[in-house]
Amino acid sequence: MRKKLLVGILAVCMTATLLSGCKGKETKTEDASVSATQQEQTEAEKVEDTAEPITLTVFSNLPDRKNGQGLVEQKIIDDYMSENPNVTIEVEALDEEAYKTKFKAYAMNGMPDVVSIWGQPSFLDEVLEAGILEPLNEADYADYGFVSGSLEGFKKDGKLYGLPRNTDVMGFYYNQKMFEDNGWEVPKNYDELLVLGKKIKEAGIVPVAMDGGDGWPLAIYLTDLLVRVDGNIKDIVSNAIATGDFTDPSIVEATKLLAKTAQSGLFQVGYDSQDYGTAMNLFTNGQAAMFYMGSWEASMALNEDISEEVRNNIRAFTMPPITDGKGAQTDIAAWNGGGYAVAAQSEQKEEAIKFLNYMYQPDKLSKYGWENGVGMSAQDQSAYMTGNETNLQNQFTDILNNATSVSGTPINDCGPSVFKTAMESEIQSVCNGTKSVDDFLSVIGETCK
Amino acid sequence: MKKLYSNKLVILSLVLPGILVFIFAILAPICLSVYYGCMDYSGMGKATFNGIDNYKMLLRDAAFGRALLNSLLLAVGFVFIQHPIALIVAAVLDKLQGKAEGFFRCVYFIPNVISVAVIAYLWKFIYNPDFGLINNILKSLGYQEKINWFSPNIAIWSVLIVLIWHGFGWGMLIYYTGIKNIDPVLYEASAIDGANQATTFLKITLPLMKPVIQINVTMAIIAALKQMETVYLLTNGGPGNSTQFAANYLYQQAFKAFRYGYGNAIGIVFIIICLVVTVGLNTIFVEKKEA
Repeated sequence: MRKKLLVGILAVCMTATLLSGCKGKETKTEDASVSATQQEQTEAEKVEDTAEPITLTVFSNLPDRKNGQGLVEQKIIDDYMSENPNVTIEVEALDEEAYKTKFKAYAMNGMPDVVSIWGQPSFLDEVLEAGILEPLNEADYADYGFVSGSLEGFKKDGKLYGLPRNTDVMGFYYNQKMFEDNGWEVPKNYDELLVLGKKIKEAGIVPVAMDGGDGWPLAIYLTDLLVRVDGNIKDIVSNAIATGDFTDPSIVEATKLLAKTAQSGLFQVGYDSQDYGTAMNLFTNGQAAMFYMGSWEASMALNEDISEEVRNNIRAFTMPPITDGKGAQTDIAAWNGGGYAVAAQSEQKEEAIKFLNYMYQPDKLSKYGWENGVGMSAQDQSAYMTGNETNLQNQFTDILNNATSVSGTPINDCGPSVFKTAMESEIQSVCNGTKSVDDFLSVIGETCK
Repeated sequence: MKKLYSNKLVILSLVLPGILVFIFAILAPICLSVYYGCMDYSGMGKATFNGIDNYKMLLRDAAFGRALLNSLLLAVGFVFIQHPIALIVAAVLDKLQGKAEGFFRCVYFIPNVISVAVIAYLWKFIYNPDFGLINNILKSLGYQEKINWFSPNIAIWSVLIVLIWHGFGWGMLIYYTGIKNIDPVLYEASAIDGANQATTFLKITLPLMKPVIQINVTMAIIAALKQMETVYLLTNGGPGNSTQFAANYLYQQAFKAFRYGYGNAIGIVFIIICLVVTVGLNTIFVEKKEA
């Protein structure tokens, strides 16, 4: 009985298979009868369909894919995939510190095809020494409108290994309405800033929200002060790092001024243990009058999570000049930091470079970045000025256009990563007074030797 | 059955998985660490042999010294603050009986169930000088000054409080289980003899809990030496290196400072310290047992 049942089931299955085969033949016959015109139309689609599917992996340091720079990156990726249906782009995004750790793990065991990088010695020196990145042909980018000098940080021995994404300018964001309501004025020199800080503190408000827990904003503050003290700092910093001797009078003076500033109470209580988000929240919640951060946060003016009263009144100014200093307020702390590169061992190298070049087409990163208010691109953006820019965007554009000099890479990123790590940790100690200026400079000098 | 166990192939097949796990998961990584600990290596590219230079540098490294000191402080905190309280709480819970016993057992164990990341951020907010819970309570009591709970002088104590609070539940649960295993007849006998609660605790509970205390103390000291996640998320060793711990420092050097060789040297010294401490503790406890 069971045997008969099995034979029956098998017979039904066989008949069904045969019938489906006949149906397939019928469809093919129908296909053969379509008109020549339709055939031509579908020809192009067929080419695309038959193009070999490619999967590109992108490793990014922009985990927020719905706001700011991460949104811009995602938009470009989506555009590329819709224009190249055979290409699938898989994104892995981590925040900066986790990104750098995993980058190293990938370096040992195969990198993703396109990666975020930083055109600064503290990151790039070791990476290039290990031969992880694919050299690019600089001549290909002649028409991409890169700002003069912006590619320099991404080069080694004359070869280009990556492309910069932004031009970053450091400054003080301030709440204009809060300033006006309290009769405070934007300081014209550094002494005025310290006096203003005291007034703001007396009013029960935090003068400047500082992300001191991370160390690098303090190091950029030091760079900014060094620019005010000496004007052009590139030679001083490169000499100090080459020799491990940080006793140059300008560096000593700038460090003393930083320590004095921190100990005068310009920053919030506990600034040296508070992170980026906490510092930014103090400012965006109206608990702090100013926030020391880069132009990449100019998108605060468009961020609807921030109350309208605050976001519509955010303005910026650069570090005020100091008495007897050689640097003016127009000598700014600015650099081209983050960018992208292609992994040397990528199996899809050709497609990866094609995608990289696509990202940097002037109507992509630059345009989208400008439209989303994420700061200034490393490429010429003048074509995308619509007249509807936020006040912050206009202010940063003016600051950059009127700059008499730019600092280049901040001091903490000028040396090897061991120097960067030590500096970003020890700078907290010199600011909170647990380490003297001389000891601090000696400790960071040791890491360069 | 006896014949089966005397077959060497059977013995080998039973022991082999354990040996393989030990070789590949413990021994091989340690050997690799010893190898890389003698290298000048960024973790990428070529490594160059530099002998014991990494270890020489480690001896002069003030931050590593501070990290070890902090680990020692934490171990002392665990042994002399966390564990005595955990033992007393376990004894009190045992006496509570009924629903209250189950309720409080759960309440004290809750911090252990919450993820380390949540714990770290929770305490970051509690300690925040501007909007933190502690400063706001103090403000409502009339104290207007903003206290910086992570100032260099007191940051380590603030961190220790979090770590002691977080690990409290485990210690308590192990003590509680130990107390539950004590024969109730002994308590009945002591009650008949007229012993009060304190005498019962000191003369019966404590002596019978010695093996549990030994295990708990050993585990607490090893946990103090291995401390990483909470500190990494709470202060990342800062401000400066005031709350630095050995494991966190190892991570910073190996993965942030691109000193993979140096990080491995720290790892090796770290393993030696852990071994010495464990062997030392075992020796002390064994000697006491014999005495």
